[in-house]
Amino acid sequence: MEKIRIVNLSKRYGKVVAADHVTLSIGDKEFFSLLGPSGCGKSTVLRCVAGLEEPSDGEIYIGETQVNCAAAGINVPTEERPIGMVFQNYAIWPHMTVHDNVAYPLKLKKLPKEVIEAKLKEILRAVGLEQLAGRFPSELSGGEQQRVALARALIKEPEVLLLDEPLSNLDAKLREQMRFELKDLQRRTGIPILYVTHDQTEALAMSDRLAIMNAGRIVQIGTPDDIYSHPADRFVADFIGLMNFVPARIVERSGDRVTVEIFGGHRLTISDRKALSGACILAVRPEDIALSPQGAIRCRVVVSSYSGHLIDYKISTNGIVLRVQTPKTMIYDEGAELGFTVEHAILFATGEGNA
Amino acid sequence: MRMSARKFDRRYLLMIAIGLFIFLAVIYPLWQVFFRSFISAGLFSLKNYYKVFSFPSYYHALFNSLWVSAATGVLCMLLGTVLAFLVIRTDLPFKKILRTLLVLPYALPSFFAAIAWIQLLGPQGYLARIFFRLSGSDTAPWNIYSAAGIVFVLTVHYFILVFITVAGALERMDASLEEAARSSGANTYQIMRQITLPLVLPAILAGGLLAFIGALANFGIPALLGMRARFFVLTTSIYYALAIPDFGLATALSSMLVLVALISMSFQFGIQKGGSKYTVISGKAVHPSELKLRSMRYPLLLAAAGLIFFISIIPIVSMFLTALFHYWGAPLSFANLTLENFIYILKLEAGRRAIFNSLLLAALAATITMFIGVVVSYMNVKAKLKGSQALDFLATIPYAVPHTVMAIAMILAWAKPPLSLYGTLWIILVAYLAIYLPFAVRTTHATLQQVHDSLEEAARVSGAKLLPRLRDVILPLARPGMIAGWILVFMPALRELTVSILLYTHRTETIGVVVYNMQDAGYREIAAALASVVMILLIAGNSLIRKLSGGVTGF
Repeated sequence: MEKIRIVNLSKRYGKVVAADHVTLSIGDKEFFSLLGPSGCGKSTVLRCVAGLEEPSDGEIYIGETQVNCAAAGINVPTEERPIGMVFQNYAIWPHMTVHDNVAYPLKLKKLPKEVIEAKLKEILRAVGLEQLAGRFPSELSGGEQQRVALARALIKEPEVLLLDEPLSNLDAKLREQMRFELKDLQRRTGIPILYVTHDQTEALAMSDRLAIMNAGRIVQIGTPDDIYSHPADRFVADFIGLMNFVPARIVERSGDRVTVEIFGGHRLTISDRKALSGACILAVRPEDIALSPQGAIRCRVVVSSYSGHLIDYKISTNGIVLRVQTPKTMIYDEGAELGFTVEHAILFATGEGNA
Repeated sequence: MRMSARKFDRRYLLMIAIGLFIFLAVIYPLWQVFFRSFISAGLFSLKNYYKVFSFPSYYHALFNSLWVSAATGVLCMLLGTVLAFLVIRTDLPFKKILRTLLVLPYALPSFFAAIAWIQLLGPQGYLARIFFRLSGSDTAPWNIYSAAGIVFVLTVHYFILVFITVAGALERMDASLEEAARSSGANTYQIMRQITLPLVLPAILAGGLLAFIGALANFGIPALLGMRARFFVLTTSIYYALAIPDFGLATALSSMLVLVALISMSFQFGIQKGGSKYTVISGKAVHPSELKLRSMRYPLLLAAAGLIFFISIIPIVSMFLTALFHYWGAPLSFANLTLENFIYILKLEAGRRAIFNSLLLAALAATITMFIGVVVSYMNVKAKLKGSQALDFLATIPYAVPHTVMAIAMILAWAKPPLSLYGTLWIILVAYLAIYLPFAVRTTHATLQQVHDSLEEAARVSGAKLLPRLRDVILPLARPGMIAGWILVFMPALRELTVSILLYTHRTETIGVVVYNMQDAGYREIAAALASVVMILLIAGNSLIRKLSGGVTGF
């Protein structure tokens, strides 16, 4: 069952199109991310779902309820939507204690005091804040403030949880820890999450599915592995992970299998469903290049840098520089002459999605 | 399902109501001034302006206004810049205390300053008497009732405007620019002259123009010091023209005053805008290095402390002392000290009435302007409603209008049938609302801007509608700023002179009017007693604001 459905959503500010015909849906218990560079419109989409922005066009459903329909002039106010939201800066009210911050949504519902207190205790325990209920936000660390925001968003038992770059203000260690906690929390509560981030590691690690946005449009929707292994276009390929782009030419095709020629002679057979022909671009991940002394394509190591769990190389071959990442098991010195083979690659048309 | 279109209507209704209020209290009266200046004997003509330029006493007033204000501006730039350098960029001892004391004269109304300096430097003034005793002569080489006296008191009152802008620019200046000059081989003197001074020059000029505008619009000082010597400036000429009464002349003079004020303000605005092009004043909290004064440290401290004692402390002491004397000019001795002047004020019916009127007017003005300010700023800063920016702009217009002109505007707009407010407190209230509205809008604007948008959005997501949002989140967070803003309107309204003196009638006196009239009629010790009470209130209110705002606002 779909928990959030966005149909043809557009948001224009004067001449600027922040969101352009966005259509997507989020299922029950799904962790769904909107990922893209800053200014791509991902936050606009989230804020439209929250009702903090009014769409110029399109419809939004939360559960069964239509909360936006631009054509019919429907725009359910934020305060009446069944949502919880965590803001990038947490937006904890500094003049209220942790207790009052988290209890506020229930207080507005005018629930009996005992019910509020019981619920509050439960939710504070869930996020590990039961000791800090009497504290003011200024007395909390960044991670604790984050949990307060989360507790406040969850306490009214919303149908969906909206998260707007909630981890971007935390330091690297804490960010990683919160990533697991968030995922764990979602598994326990089963609440569908719409998550907005510009951090691809975060999105790939946490999401069940994600949508890549660029310039207001959705470029690709899929599971993390879909997106990483089968990027829909050059933009996605370039934006997600590291990617080498090499000019290539298709010389032979049989069904989905094509043979391409790179560096004027070396041939490579890969699969392609795009029915390309002639000149094209071959995209290769750094970890899909295997270095070996015997490798067919000759190259020279330009830079070799040690980065803990792997070795990062820049190699030069036929006048272009490629990025290669290998496990620590083999280390080549800078200046070493050797060869490589391509183990996995994707083809794009030359003019497509100028990254 | 609720339609969005219907909800907007109600908020726009409130906007229209406030727009109407601003129109009635500000736009329509000011239009009357401008319009009437071109009407003579019921017909459109330039006769009123012709009159200004054909009678020496009127065009001299224009000329006097310009040169007195210009002289004040230049002197303020010198004094303000030197003191700002000393206090911000050197290792002068006791800088913090000096800085606080420097601001003191500006916290008091300018006509109090005029009164205090008359007490000190007037023909029988305390300092004059000391001079007579020391020199043996019985005439002083100065005369406070003169153009020079006016420029002197205006400078003492307004130099702080230059001090504050220059001090701000010096504090925000990137220290690395000076360090780069030092590493290029420049010595301290060269750095100050070739790097620092050029960089703060826009601030100096902007501050100087602020002082010029302040002097131009000032009424109390030229009224108390100039009218007796028949030395008139624009504001006092307008007062005079109203006493005749010649509305045509008064409105023509007013329009010219507004024109000069607007031109100087646009210059000032241009300089500040141009100044912000210098990326060096970046708002970073880098502390520039302090200039070591070495052997000059204590001589300069002595000079600065002496100056501050002279312009900040002595006038206040003089005011309190005068309030305690049996009669003005009594010899300095304990036997001549008394509290009867304070008791007299309370016994005097007009005195009691003035205190009541001023408290009522100030409280109403502060409350109403702050309410309007909150609504306008909320719509502008938070709700971001279309058209709210125009409202914000309209509410800021009175800032550019000298108070004398605003008073005339009220007479023209609201002292005629069918709705004549003349002779009531309400016409004074409307004038107060008009002149203090810009301050209220600006403080609420700044305060609400400090409340991050997401704090209100979080309340919406939590399920809070507009009223709970305001009650639980926005107003509590904005409260310190609001209270400070309220006091910032209340205090100047409590001791307001210029508007009240032009609009009061029997029974609608304010504190300012009574102090002025008492002083003018020669009851200096009574005037001083009432002024002293107000000064204590002002200083107390000011320290309260500083506390509330963490030292950011207040003088």
